[in-house]
Amino acid sequence: MQTQTRTEGYQDSIKATFQLFLWTFAWGATLALAKFGPESLWDSDTMSWAAVALNVGIGIGWIVAHARYLRAIDELQRKIMQDALAITLGVTWVAGFAYIVADSADLISYNADAGSLAILMSVIYVVATAAGHLRYR
Amino acid sequence: MKNRLKDLRTERNWTQADLAQFAGVSRQTINAVEKGKFDPSLPLAFRLARLFDLTIEEIFLDEADQTAG
Repeated sequence: MQTQTRTEGYQDSIKATFQLFLWTFAWGATLALAKFGPESLWDSDTMSWAAVALNVGIGIGWIVAHARYLRAIDELQRKIMQDALAITLGVTWVAGFAYIVADSADLISYNADAGSLAILMSVIYVVATAAGHLRYR
Repeated sequence: MKNRLKDLRTERNWTQADLAQFAGVSRQTINAVEKGKFDPSLPLAFRLARLFDLTIEEIFLDEADQTAG
């Protein structure tokens, strides 16, 4: 039967997941290099710019790998991921602007940086993905 | 959407993993479809129908039709 040999989709999703993992790891490593390199590894603006450029280049590869991953996974997994991305974008947007207006009104003393935003987005994405998997368990 | 997927699968002594492999999706997807938590896309519904040599209407039951009838 023709459909009984349809295992390529699942294998493609495993391959795409592994590639996304590698790109994510590479992006994180180059980010750490660009962040800590100027402090401890070199004393050159050229090297710092090169590290930033490398991080941006790897970041573009990571974006492409993520898009490929979303195309390779099956339709339920894609729905879970898209829901998680939508929740992450929505919460970040709402929380971000709430922080901006509260900060401009001098209501809060905590100074958030870009790292806080990245951590917030990561936590929301992981929680939303886990919730999606539980929902369709 | 209600469906007869679990009955059809067990008639053939297939596990969810077997059907998932034949249909090219994850076992979680088959489980969610069987429980009516997730409606499959039209291409997946056609693949499942071909696997069981049935039409889509013979596997998936339109609840609107059932309530109207």
